[in-house]
Amino acid sequence: MWTETWLFTKRSLLTTIRNPFSFIPNLIISVFFLLVYTSGLSSVASLPQFEGSDYLNFILPVSIVSGAVGGAGGTGQALVRDIESGYFARLLLTPSTRTAIVLGPMIAGMLQLLVQTLLIFAVAFLLGLTIPVGVAGFFFTLLLAIGFGLGFAGYSVGVALKTRNAQAAQAGTLLFFPLIFLSTTFVPKELIEAEWLKVAATYNPTTYIFEGMRAVLTQPEIDWGALSAGLAVAGTISVVMIVFAATNARGALTQK
Amino acid sequence: MIEVEGLVKTFKDVSAVGGVSFSVKEGEIFAFLGPNGAGKSTTVQMLTTLVRPTSGMARVNGYDVVKREKEVRLSIGVALQETGIDKVLTGRELLVLQGRLFKMSREEAEHRANELLKVVSLTDAADRRSGTYSGGMRRRLDLALTLVHRPTVLFLDEPTTGLDPASRVEIWNEVRRLNREFGTTIFLTTQYLEEADELADRIAIIHHGKIVSEGTPEELKQLVGGETVAMDFSNESEAATVASHFGTTANGTHVAFELRNVTLTEIVRALDEQKLQPERLTVKQPSLDDVFLKVTGESYEGGEIHVD
Repeated sequence: MWTETWLFTKRSLLTTIRNPFSFIPNLIISVFFLLVYTSGLSSVASLPQFEGSDYLNFILPVSIVSGAVGGAGGTGQALVRDIESGYFARLLLTPSTRTAIVLGPMIAGMLQLLVQTLLIFAVAFLLGLTIPVGVAGFFFTLLLAIGFGLGFAGYSVGVALKTRNAQAAQAGTLLFFPLIFLSTTFVPKELIEAEWLKVAATYNPTTYIFEGMRAVLTQPEIDWGALSAGLAVAGTISVVMIVFAATNARGALTQK
Repeated sequence: MIEVEGLVKTFKDVSAVGGVSFSVKEGEIFAFLGPNGAGKSTTVQMLTTLVRPTSGMARVNGYDVVKREKEVRLSIGVALQETGIDKVLTGRELLVLQGRLFKMSREEAEHRANELLKVVSLTDAADRRSGTYSGGMRRRLDLALTLVHRPTVLFLDEPTTGLDPASRVEIWNEVRRLNREFGTTIFLTTQYLEEADELADRIAIIHHGKIVSEGTPEELKQLVGGETVAMDFSNESEAATVASHFGTTANGTHVAFELRNVTLTEIVRALDEQKLQPERLTVKQPSLDDVFLKVTGESYEGGEIHVD
């Protein structure tokens, strides 16, 4: 099964590289977010609730996560393209396991995310990013981005297989739009005024990803509590979504 | 090689296949002939493990298509109605990947890819993205992809639908060659009477999810009678003379009757004795169109060639 998964991963990477427009716009948007928010909002970081951290460090997770979500949506769309071209049926007719067929594109999506996150980091460094806790901060942020991205890739693959429709797979990305913004996106929770938004942010899993990243990016020392919560949320989401995707892959075989 | 008994597929409340039974012997080309929506594709999808039957039994290569689907998939090659090709990859990349998925080593898969590219005459286009191929080239690549693991049974769902006449003949030749040279058993579906007649050893006519008739092309044609002979004369009196000699009546200058109790030689001799020379003499085989009309009571309308 691992050989197959690797073959599918390689194939998806090749497809992605040959379709540069499947990832370039998304990357540009993420970098654009970073530039605009940093230059437009950086003075709010002088408020005491930011505890002296640079706004660049605070907003970087938003850029990374929105990039991850947008990028992962492409994984499902690539699969819908395969279904529409009939190539998916051909893959189902090989002795490969269903899990490998869906896991390959998801891993490829994750690697794409890794590269993308590194590029966003590179831009942030150019803007003068310093991470007080050092390399560990960089490493954990990457880990959270990939975990959350893998989960979302699984979600988009699952939706793609369930609906077999490119528009639906794309619309699935819209779900994450409120998830990104109904959170501690721009300011810490203490600064959110509307009570409903506070509540939404508390139940929104994205909040824990943001907080996990900030735990290693904005503080002079790692906040292990927030980091573990973030890692736990990212881990849970990716496991649940991989199961969701694999279940639908098996379903796609018998229904139709 | 293929045994099917009472196979049924119902989608929600709609019956797609209403209980078909047939068997295909080793090395045979068997055609499922019928118009659009007759249940051909659904049958192929059930036999190739892509769709689960509602009821009934089917075995391919001795393996039950429901209980032993993995073994079935390993032993069959399938070309579905829509070609299954990723347009972004090149022909060679697709063939190598296919080989690797069928557990070949990298070297084996590359070797097999070269072999098949030659078989379907795509060597020159091998390193171009398949999205740039013409319809006929895509079909040939699709056929090559189904052959990578040397299947003993091949399923071709409407292999020439949407192709121009020249590409159709190319595919026909390829199918015949596979059958002749490798003894591959072939199950194909088609809506073209001509195609079934041309390729198949045996034909099953499927209509509204049921097999309405089955046999060799000759047997099916026997259903509507044997060969007919038709003659045209320069004047009506000659035609009338010949007609009365063979116990029939002329239609103007035209005489036609079934070649049942009389041989062609006898006809020619009789004409010679009476010093009569027809302007035209043709012997006509009954066509599958006639058969379709006879067994379904409907005239066949799927047979035109559609060109994209």
